[in-house]
Amino acid sequence: MSTPDRDTDTTVIAETVTRVVFPLILLTAIALLFRGHNLPGGGFIAGVLTAAAFALLYVIYGLDFVGDDLLDRSGTSTTAAGPAIVADYRLAFATGLALAIVGGLAAIALGQPFLTQAVVFLEHLPLYEELEVASAFVFDLGVYLVVVGALLTILAVVGAE
Amino acid sequence: MGTIKSRRWLIRTVSLAPLAVWLAPTIAELGGSVAQAGSEPTAAVLIAALGLPFLGALVVPLLYRVLGERVAYVAAAVAFACFGLVASQYGAQGVVTIPWIPTLDVSLVLYLDGLSLLIALLASGIGVLIFIYSASYMHDEPGQARYYATLLAFMGSMLGVTLASDLISLFVFWELTSITSFGLIGHYREDASSLYAARKSMLITVSGGLFMLVGFLLLRFVSGEALTNATYTLVGTPDSLIANADAIRAALRDTGLFVPVLGLIAIGAAAKSAQVPLHLWLPNAMEAPTPVSAFLHSATMVKAGVYLIGRVRPLLVGDEWMLLFGTLGLVTMTVTALLAIGASDIKELLAYSTASHLGLITAGFGFANQLGAETGIFHILNHALFKATLFLVAGIVAHEAGTRAIDELGGLRHDLPITAVITAIAALGMAGIPPFNGFYSKELLFEAAYEVAHTDGGLFWLFPIVAVVGSVFTFLYSIRFLWLFVGEKPAGLGEVHSPPALLVAPPAILAALAAVVGIDPQLAVDTIVQSAFGSAVAGEAHTMSVHLPTELKPAVAMSAITIAVGIAVSPFYDRIRDVVRRASHGPLSANWYYDGAVSGLERASAASLPRIQTGYFRTYAIWTLATTSLLALGGYLAAGVSLPAFTGLSIALPVVIVLAVAVVGAAAVGIAPSHVAGVLTLSILGFMIALFYVLSNAPDLALTQLAVETLVLVLFLLVLDKLPAFYGDAPLSRTIRDGVLATGVGATVATTVLVATAASPNDVIAEFLIERAPVPSEHGPLLTDFGGGGNIVNVILVDFRAFDTMGEISVVAMAALSVLTLIAMRGRGESS
Repeated sequence: MSTPDRDTDTTVIAETVTRVVFPLILLTAIALLFRGHNLPGGGFIAGVLTAAAFALLYVIYGLDFVGDDLLDRSGTSTTAAGPAIVADYRLAFATGLALAIVGGLAAIALGQPFLTQAVVFLEHLPLYEELEVASAFVFDLGVYLVVVGALLTILAVVGAE
Repeated sequence: MGTIKSRRWLIRTVSLAPLAVWLAPTIAELGGSVAQAGSEPTAAVLIAALGLPFLGALVVPLLYRVLGERVAYVAAAVAFACFGLVASQYGAQGVVTIPWIPTLDVSLVLYLDGLSLLIALLASGIGVLIFIYSASYMHDEPGQARYYATLLAFMGSMLGVTLASDLISLFVFWELTSITSFGLIGHYREDASSLYAARKSMLITVSGGLFMLVGFLLLRFVSGEALTNATYTLVGTPDSLIANADAIRAALRDTGLFVPVLGLIAIGAAAKSAQVPLHLWLPNAMEAPTPVSAFLHSATMVKAGVYLIGRVRPLLVGDEWMLLFGTLGLVTMTVTALLAIGASDIKELLAYSTASHLGLITAGFGFANQLGAETGIFHILNHALFKATLFLVAGIVAHEAGTRAIDELGGLRHDLPITAVITAIAALGMAGIPPFNGFYSKELLFEAAYEVAHTDGGLFWLFPIVAVVGSVFTFLYSIRFLWLFVGEKPAGLGEVHSPPALLVAPPAILAALAAVVGIDPQLAVDTIVQSAFGSAVAGEAHTMSVHLPTELKPAVAMSAITIAVGIAVSPFYDRIRDVVRRASHGPLSANWYYDGAVSGLERASAASLPRIQTGYFRTYAIWTLATTSLLALGGYLAAGVSLPAFTGLSIALPVVIVLAVAVVGAAAVGIAPSHVAGVLTLSILGFMIALFYVLSNAPDLALTQLAVETLVLVLFLLVLDKLPAFYGDAPLSRTIRDGVLATGVGATVATTVLVATAASPNDVIAEFLIERAPVPSEHGPLLTDFGGGGNIVNVILVDFRAFDTMGEISVVAMAALSVLTLIAMRGRGESS
């Protein structure tokens, strides 16, 4: 292992591999999120995996890469502390938390206890024939967003130190 | 000017409107309900009487912005409404139940009978006068919104104490009076002595209350032995403790808990009612504004203690009871009467005298005969009337003469003639001189003490003797207080102003009531004391008859001795006072122990803080981990938990290999030469655990473990060069300490896992989850009863236990926010 200051001394091999692997990890994470209801996976695992993918970017390409080059969010944010990208991360976990709560409140609006979940089966769809749509997915998506947002916030802020 | 006037007019109407609204029905009901004695109380009325003060406490701070100081009259109207509501239930007796925590069998049970009616009427009635008095007294004082709100809540808590039939609600209201009085005693926040007094009263009364709570819990436990159902209900229902007093007493004796329960409840009551040696908070409580002192000393707070003694008296009365409370009461009565003589401040004198009279009430309840209960109940009424009056007089004196020092005051009758008359009625009542109200209850105490001595003989003769001695001192300080008005006016005393009518009216009303009781005691007895007396005796209560003595009985002789000795000793008042002042220092005074204990605690915490909170993460980790492990292991030991039997190894070879590598990884962490090596070897351990999950058919856990492990590894590598280099140069002692700690934590976790997995409840939730999580074989287009997912772990997380998950993601979000605020924003804020 080299020194933590990786901006200067990462190898070409590492950069190339990361470039290939990063989208694959993200794809895996999203697959895990979607299939979580019926197969191993779910919002939490997907979230941690996504955060790990970003962490890989941070390690190989340096802290400013994600914010400045990849997503074009340069400059210092006026509201949040730390790197400018943190504002987006913060938005992510706030949205996630809101999604989970609103999803739970929807059950109350329908006369069910808070956070009651339901499953709807859509029949006769092209390609899929039958599709199971679980309201729990909304909650799981909320979990995913919270985990991604929170972990990346921590990563960015701690990394910036 | 015009606007101000119209606003005043508006304010008058606003404050009077609720009064009138409440008055009309209550007066009508009062007329009707006197006839229906023995009827059930109306639920809505009792709840309203209890709820109104708290509601008022919420509204008063808002109204203060509109009404200013006149908010006092709103508070008085609320108190008057409570008084009217309680009075409308005159003669009623019974319970009102409101479920509170049904699963624990705790409900807010309100019970009304003679005793609670008496105290509730005193609390709300004197409350009205206190609020009216406060309007003048607190003029231009700081923090009035807070003052009136707290005072209302204080009154409400006292009503709660008297109306609660359930031990838990009784305890809650009991501690509420302590907490609200904390705010009232510490009203002048800038004043160090005021804060000292508030903390003292809080410490003593709240900790006393906790002793009482233990007593209550023991009572509940014993009630489970004696009755079919364990109960918290003290009184009122057929299943209550007092309704089954004989069975409970027998069970208490069988379990050997009679004396502990009696002692614990006595500590609570003694702390509240300022009995020796827990009396020390009461004299300091005079730091409160005078109306608060008057209220606290007469009808609330201290009366809660004697109320409890009177309330549980039918349950626990017996030989131990008499020995404990008779002695406690008479000792308090005498000691604090002496301390009152030593007082240099009129409020201090009155404060000690309160403790002394509460001693008299306690002693009365303590005597295991009906005369004793008569004494206690009657003196609660008499003491409230004359003590509230005298405190209000003390407030007038302090307000108009500008001093409270006894030595600087005298001859006030010239400047305050009406107040002088009021004082005479109240002070002579306090001295126990016929025909003033205090005489009758003191006479009853003498009778009760004499009867006990006459029946039991021997050392019990000390009871009447001490009662007389205590009464002599009471006589002395009462007359001394009266002498403020009668004697010569000292040269140093400046001009004494004439008090406003609203300052004189409240004590005048109280003194008039005291005079009525003095002239026709039987009227007071028939109106309220008789029914209250019935609540404090076990079994059938006889009819009370109180009048001026017509023949020479022992009690009359004792009264005569008291007065004669009092007059004979009065020339030596100053000499007694000096002796008391000299003696009440150092180890002889209770304060010495209190201050020593408090400063000792402060020193101990100041000494331990630098050891526990060093600012190093490792110190916090050591303390937290060690404490958690010790508590958990100690808990297992105390509960006698045994480890499940070892059923032999039945694990496959791959698992053994994976675990062996994990152990090697763990060992390597300990000897790693650098941080990087340490982090990497630690992740060997983590990945092996993930593999173990794979082998144990837990793919979800394995996935999570892998993802988390990867992330943690990356995080560690990111922050690695920020960590201090502690590796390799740690001294041996620290290595040993850390090793012991690590072993202890490991043992705790292993034990917990073994014990937790061995516990298998009959009602296995796993079956429910397995049945309900997947999609059932036949189903419609919409599923709500089933999870409808093949992955049970995920369905549990997002459906069955979604609320838990919600909490967890909130914690994750909070952690991110904390990192943001603690690290990224640390440069901002007040310190920068």
